[in-house]
Amino acid sequence: MKRTPEEKLLNPRPGSRIAAARDFGIDLSLTVSQLRLTPQERIDNLQSSMSFVAELDRARKKGPIAKGKQ
Amino acid sequence: MVDLEKVISALASNNVEFVIVGGVAIKLHSSGYITVDLDFCYSRSKENIIRLVSALKPFSPKPRNFPAELPYIFDESTLGQATNFTFETSIGDLDLLGEVKGVGDYSAVLSRSVVFEIYGSRINALDLDALIDAKTAADRPKDHLALPELYALREALDPNED
Repeated sequence: MKRTPEEKLLNPRPGSRIAAARDFGIDLSLTVSQLRLTPQERIDNLQSSMSFVAELDRARKKGPIAKGKQ
Repeated sequence: MVDLEKVISALASNNVEFVIVGGVAIKLHSSGYITVDLDFCYSRSKENIIRLVSALKPFSPKPRNFPAELPYIFDESTLGQATNFTFETSIGDLDLLGEVKGVGDYSAVLSRSVVFEIYGSRINALDLDALIDAKTAADRPKDHLALPELYALREALDPNED
């Protein structure tokens, strides 16, 4: 029986491109999460990620605002 | 960051012939990849350039890092002077590509695209094989980081692969 894309990504065959991606450091569980979404949901997810990156960039530009407590 | 809904809706409602390429296309194919701009390939026909200018002019495009004190006119004549442009706009950064390295001009890109429904419109985006070719041809460090997941997705989605 043929495996689903999700099954292939979560249990890659040794020597496959999927196994190579996992070994390269790609978190394939995130790829599986994206596969479960509709294209519109993937785009909405990307837009949210962009907002988060923009917020991180604002924090980076502002710099640390205090020293952490020991 | 780019406001995807505003730019995609503007392009679609003005009937611009375009194909999403780059990071947003990669995301549409289920990658975990994150980008902050929108790259698209556009038809360089005179009619399409007129539609493209109508769609984007309200967002005041200027070349990225263009001196703020200098005027910039975004019109059909400007777009006729080159093929690829990197713009900053009031709704984020946009890369307009008349050609995509490793794939070709708009007609080649369109022939290697698939259609997604986004924001209620049918939108073309580069297919996985063409994205792999484009990233391979671009050959920058960030392209090499994206390729392993694209290969993995292609293998996972191929019904002939197990």
